[in-house]
Formats: sequence, structure tokens, C-alpha cells
Amino acid sequence: MRARRRAAHAAIYAILIVVTLIMLFPVAWMLTVSVRPNVEVMKIPPDWIPAVFTLDAYVKVLSSGRYLRTFANTYFVALAVTLLSLFIGAMAAYALARFRFRGQRVVLMFLITTQMFPLVLLCIPYFRMVVKIGLYDTLISLIVVYVTFTLPFCVLMLRSYFAQIPKDMEEAAMVDGCSRVGAIVRTLLPMSYPALIGAGLYTFLLAWNEFLFAVVLIEAWDKRVITMAVYSLLAEFVTEWSMMMAFSVLASAPLVIAFIFLQRYMVRGMTAGAITS
Amino acid sequence: MKAKPSFRRRHRQEIQAYAYLWPALLMLGALMLYPLAQVVRMSFYEVSLQREIWVGLGNYAQLLSTALFWQTLWQTLLFTAGSVALHLAIGLALALLLHARINVRFRDFMRGLLIIPWLFAPTVAGMIWVLMLAPFGVANGFLASIGLLSPEATINWLGSPETSLLSVTAMNVWRAFPFFMVMLLAGLQAIPEELYEAADIDGATGLGKFWYITLPGLRGVIATIVLLDSIWTFRAFDPVYVMTGGGPMNSSEVLATAIYFDAFQKLKFGYASAEAVVMFLILFVVSAVYVRRAVREIG
Repeated sequence: MRARRRAAHAAIYAILIVVTLIMLFPVAWMLTVSVRPNVEVMKIPPDWIPAVFTLDAYVKVLSSGRYLRTFANTYFVALAVTLLSLFIGAMAAYALARFRFRGQRVVLMFLITTQMFPLVLLCIPYFRMVVKIGLYDTLISLIVVYVTFTLPFCVLMLRSYFAQIPKDMEEAAMVDGCSRVGAIVRTLLPMSYPALIGAGLYTFLLAWNEFLFAVVLIEAWDKRVITMAVYSLLAEFVTEWSMMMAFSVLASAPLVIAFIFLQRYMVRGMTAGAITS
Repeated sequence: MKAKPSFRRRHRQEIQAYAYLWPALLMLGALMLYPLAQVVRMSFYEVSLQREIWVGLGNYAQLLSTALFWQTLWQTLLFTAGSVALHLAIGLALALLLHARINVRFRDFMRGLLIIPWLFAPTVAGMIWVLMLAPFGVANGFLASIGLLSPEATINWLGSPETSLLSVTAMNVWRAFPFFMVMLLAGLQAIPEELYEAADIDGATGLGKFWYITLPGLRGVIATIVLLDSIWTFRAFDPVYVMTGGGPMNSSEVLATAIYFDAFQKLKFGYASAEAVVMFLILFVVSAVYVRRAVREIG
């Protein structure tokens, strides 16, 4: 009986390891292709282990001002979006968590509904609006647009966290002479850092990985973001596969690294994306 | 006689609340409601870059009588159903494995590794899969090495009408299953141990415990994530656009890409708007179910 349970245990470990290897295969493949010369990539049958090892692709990417620019653009946009979303979102979340007011339910329903919007629908009017205002081909337009779909999530996630922190904290601070805003900054926000980090990371991830609006609203190379850049490497005749994979590695590395260190918060953000209460 | 409290005092909560709410409401109102209204308006016109002509329900009539629209809708449904079903199957299987009585460090480590696909941008993931599914790619190489494929014959996964939608679905399943895995694992951990212990005392089998304790306990989580994933997948754009661009002869076209191409390639803004409104209505009906549940839970 004992032995059977132990065998079952060992089986579970084995299955998990095998499944993980299978699931991570595309990632591994991306890595091995990125260190081959491009001609080798298209060999039939494909080499499982690269015959020739070269960092040529990485050199090509890192020495290309054009592609490096896209990294800077993406960092800038993602950071700006995260800060804006958290700031505006925290304000709104505070209102929903602390006050009871007329229209509360409607606002809540509105926020939850906006998470379901087909984003494609918005790109038509956004395109026209942005061209009319003269903000076509600017990073500002991207930032503003991204915030619209990251904001509802931030509000809902922060709201449910704030609601769990007792009111007494701010009230005590206010009795001591703080303004409400001062009380929030000094008591509520420090205590909410897990939610703030979780929402921030998830927002950063969304902004970093966004593609549709980047394609619709941006044209010039010096304004492009990495998702557009990766796609543009898919050429019509001969694609530079190793360069594309090298770029993919560099593009995904920041997120994976952040995830390794902040796994707990990211998972929290991920689960909060579904359970808003 | 006591004087009626001032407007300010009576509505103190409202004033304070909206003082904090207004930036968010302004942003979302201007950037969601207003554009939505614009799209609805445009759907009644034939719109090009220079002029607008009123056509009433003309766009909708044309849309509903075009075979391509129904084909696209059907493919979108297939893509969604296939993705969600496999997300659930894989996510549940992995969650159950991770929930077993194994070393906690090992579990967290494996869970971490298994989440990695989810971190990739759909665009980047799409590019990796385009490489793997290329005629010279690993997929064909693997099939050849185990004898299912002769070395001369290669399957053009993304370039054949029969397999294009399937290929895009496969990538989407790979990229997004971790969400289900994480949510279901959390759901499993929330089921009280005592239920299983009581069942053991009564001599329940493993299958019995699964059917009568685990599944009912997960019902709420499963309903929520299936609903959400369906909505997210139904409106997905990136995977299809970057992998097949709608596929050879529209075989992998989904609503999102169809709307994009109608608007920005064919420049039929009015027609695309009508398409978008129809898509919105479908999503709205489905999401209304979720919204009502969610608001009730928050209370």
C-alpha cells in the first residue's frame, strides 16, 4: 500500500517534469535558433543541436540603432502606462472602496464591462481621432490608448485590496491632523504594496505585449515598439530567423526576469484579473 | 425647526467619491463610450476618407448576406471553443498534478516554469510558432523523425486552408493555458481538506472524490475563467494576424482580423464599423452574464 503510494508520487514528479519539458520546448527552440547562422536554420532535416554556434544574430540586433530604439520606446510606453494606470486607478479604487454613494453600482458595472470590449472596435475611431488631433505616429497616443484598457483592471484589483484594509488606519491618521490625501499616502498605500506591485506588473506586461494599437497608430520606425519590430522581421522572401529569435529572446527577457523575482506578485495580478472580489 | 442640512452635507459621500473618481471616469468615458458611439454612428454610413453617405441599415444587410462573414464568424467560434476547451483540459490536468502532495519548493518551481509561455507577447509567441511550423521547421522534422511523415513531403501548416486555423489555435493554447492552470490550482487549494477526509472514511474511490468533491468545488472558478477566456479569445487579433494574416483564402480569418482588414486595407470604414458593432453585441450578451455575477459577488 505504502509502496503503491510512493510509486504514484514518483509518477507525478516524472509526469510534471516531462510535461514541463514539452511545454517549454518552443522557448528552448527559440534559444537554440537564436545562436545559429541563418542558413543553418532552414536546413532539412532540422538540427536539434546547433552545428554552428554563433552570437551573430544578437550582435546584429544590438548594433542596429533601429531595433534598439524600439526597446527604448517600449520601456518608455510601458512605464508611463503603468504609472498613469496605478495613479488614476488607485484614486478611483479608493473612492469605490471607501465611500458609499449614488451611482456606485453603475460605475462598477461600467468598469467590469469595459474589460470585455473588443479592442478592434476601438481602433477605427481611435485612428480617426488621432489623425484629426494630429497625434498620429506619436508615443503619447499609444500611452493614452493603452491606459484605457489597463485602467479598469487596476481599479478593480486595487479596490478589492483597499476594501480589505480597515478604515481605522486613515481615520486615526486624520484625527492626528493629516488631510485625507496625506492619510492615504501615509497609511493605506504602504500597506497596499502587494496589490500595487501586482497590478503594476500585470499592467506593464499588457503594455509591453500590446500589438494592435501599435500597428494602427504608429508608422515611423523611430516610434515603433518591439512587438511591431518582431513582426516586421518576417520578410517576404528570406526571413532572418536567427535574428528574429534573438530579438524575441531580448524582447521577452525583461518580463521573464521580472517574473522570476516577482512571481508571487505576478500570479496575484493574474488571478485578480479574473476574480475581482 | 431644524434647518435642512446643506446640499454639501447631504451629498458629502458623493462629492468626495467623485472627486477621486473623475479622472478615471473622464478617461474611460472619452476613450471608450465616445468611440463606441462613433463606431455605431459610422455603421450607418458608407465611410471613406473623403466623404460619408447615409445608408441606414445597408451595411448590416450587406454584412449578414455575405457568406464570408458567416464563415469568419464560424471560424471565430471554432477558434474560441477549441482554445478554451484545451485550455481547460490542460490547465485542469496540470493543476491536479501540482496539487498533489509533492514538495512545496518543487511545486512552486514547476508552476513558475509552466507559467512562462503566458509571459510571451502573442506576437512573439506567434513568430516562434511560425518558425516551428514552417515547411522546414521542427514540427515537420519531428513528424519525419518518428516516421509519420516522409522526408520529401512536408505539411505546410500555416499555408494550407485545412490546417491554418488549427495551427493558430495550437499556438493560442500553448500561450494561454497557464492562466487556467494557476486559477484552477488556487481553486483546488481552496477546497477544504475535511471533505476529502470524510469521503475517505466513507470509503470513496479516487474517481468518486473527484466527481463529487473536486469538480463541484471548482464549479465557480471554472465558470468564471471559461467565460473570461471565451471573451478574450473571441476578440483576439494578434495570433491570427501575425501567423497567417487571415490564412490562405480566409481559412483562418477571425472577426477581429476581418474588421481590421475591412477598415484599414479595404478602407470600408462603414462596413467595418457594422461588423464591429455585431461583434460587440455578441460579446456584450456573453459578458452581461459575467458582469451580473461579478457585481453580485462584490455586492
